[in-house]
Amino acid sequence: MTLAILPSVRTAAALRARLSPPNLLALVALIGCPWMSVPAWSAGTTAGTVIDNVASVSFDLGTVNATLDSNTASFVVLERLDVAVTLQSNQIPVSPGEAAAALLFTVTNTGNGSETVELDIDSVLGGDDFDPAPSVPAIYFDSDGSGTFSTGDVAYQQGVNDPLLLADENIDILLLNDIPDTAGDGQLGRSELTARTASGTGPTGTTLAGAGDGGIDAVFGSSGGTDVAVGEYIVADIDISLQKTVTVSDPYGGTEPTVGATLTYRVTVVVLSGGTATASEFVDPVPENTTFVANSIRLNGSAMSDAADADDGEYNANASPAVVVRLGDLTAGDGPQNIEFQVVID
Amino acid sequence: MKIICRLLVVTGVLFSTAGLAQQGHLNVQTEVQKEELVINASGETERRLVAAATVVPGDDVIYTITFTNISDETAENVVITNPIADHLTYVEGSAFGPGTAIEFSVDGGTTFGDLASLTVDVDGERKPAAAEDITHVRWTMQSQLQAGAKGMARFRARLN
Repeated sequence: MTLAILPSVRTAAALRARLSPPNLLALVALIGCPWMSVPAWSAGTTAGTVIDNVASVSFDLGTVNATLDSNTASFVVLERLDVAVTLQSNQIPVSPGEAAAALLFTVTNTGNGSETVELDIDSVLGGDDFDPAPSVPAIYFDSDGSGTFSTGDVAYQQGVNDPLLLADENIDILLLNDIPDTAGDGQLGRSELTARTASGTGPTGTTLAGAGDGGIDAVFGSSGGTDVAVGEYIVADIDISLQKTVTVSDPYGGTEPTVGATLTYRVTVVVLSGGTATASEFVDPVPENTTFVANSIRLNGSAMSDAADADDGEYNANASPAVVVRLGDLTAGDGPQNIEFQVVID
Repeated sequence: MKIICRLLVVTGVLFSTAGLAQQGHLNVQTEVQKEELVINASGETERRLVAAATVVPGDDVIYTITFTNISDETAENVVITNPIADHLTYVEGSAFGPGTAIEFSVDGGTTFGDLASLTVDVDGERKPAAAEDITHVRWTMQSQLQAGAKGMARFRARLN
C-alpha cells in the first residue's frame, strides 16, 4: 500500500504549476480568467448580390391615366476585403523558463464574402522588457474551443491550412511563446498576431480585379485586408511553501498504519515571495486504499462542509476523489494557511 | 401591355425608341451611380458621379430618374415613385427633384407623407419613422409637363 500523495496548490491556471523542490511550489498568479467573447460584426450585404432598381411614372395625358416602369438599373455588390484580430486574453502571468505560454486571439472575417486568411506571429516588439520566443510551432487553432492550449489543438501552417472564413465568421487562434529563463519578476513581454486576407493587402478603396467570390472584383475595406493585435505576458513568479504532515491513529490506540487506522493530514500553505497568488486552490487527491472521513476538512480551525457550497472547502467524491480548499488571493501578508483532513485506511 | 394597347387606341401612334425599357407617352429612365472625389487641375476636390462599378457595403449609391414627355400633348399629374431596394437604406435628406413635392412611404407604398408625419409600429407602439424605415420615395410634379419637356428626380441610398 502506498500512502504517497501529491498535494498541490493551483491558481485557476493550474497547468502552469510545477514542483521545485518537492515542497516548494512555484506558482504564477493569474490575473483574471481569459474568456471569450465574440463581438457582433456586421459584414453587410453578401458579395455578388445584384441590386436592382425600377422607378415608375404615372401621368395623365388627356383622358388617359397610365403608369410606366423604367428600365432596371443594377449594380453588383463587390467583395469587401476586411479582417479583424481581437485579443481575448488578459495579461498572461508566466514564470521564467515557462514553455508554450498561450495567448488567445479571435480572427474575424469582417468582409462580405468568403476569404482565406493567412496568419503570422511576431514576438520581437518594442514597448516591453523581454522578447518571448515563439514556440515551434507557435500558432495553433483553438480546435477544442477551450480558450487554452490543449492536446488536440491543431497547429497552423501557412499555405497549408490557412482558415477559410465566411463573411462574419471567426476563429480562435492561440499564440504560443516560450519565456526566457532570464526574464525577471514583473517584466513584460509582448507578442502579436497578424492576419491578412490571402487576396492580399492594400489601401482602402483599392480594387483587386477578379479577386472576389465567383470572380467578381474585390475592394479593400477600412482594414486594408489586414489587422494585428498584441498580447502581453507578465512575469509573476510566486513561491508558495507547502508542508504536509501526517499523524496515524490505529484502532488499538497505537500509531500503526493498519486497516482501520485514521490518518490526519495537516498542510500549511504560505506565500514566501512578493506578489499575489490569485484564486489559489489547494487540491489533494485522497490516496488509494483509503476513504475520506466525512466532514473532516478544517481551514485554520474552522470546519468546512463536504458539499461544494458557500464555504471554501469541499470533498470531490468522483472517480479521483480529492479534497479541495479555496484559499483565494494569497499574499505573504496573509500568513500560513492551515488545512486539515482525515482518511481511514481501507 | 394593356396600358400600351389602350394608348394605341387613343392616339393611333406607337412611339418606338430603341434602347429604352418601355414605350409610351412618357419615357422614364433610371441610372445608378457612385460619387467619386477627384482632385482637379487647380488642386481642389471635386465630386463627380461615375458608374456604380465598385460598390461595397457602407458605400452610397445615387439613383437618377429622368422622365421625358415624348408625346405631343401636355402631361398632368406626373408622379415618380421609386421603391428602396432590399439591402439599401435611404439617406435622409437626399431626395431631390426640381418642381416636385417629395413624400415618403414606410408601409410598402400604401400611404405617403412627410417623413416627420409618418410612424412605424415598434413592439405594438407607434413610433416616429426614421430614414431607414422608408420603403418608397415619391415625387409629385407641381406643374404640367409640356410635350418634349424633361424632369429629373434623384436620391441617395446606402448599401447595408
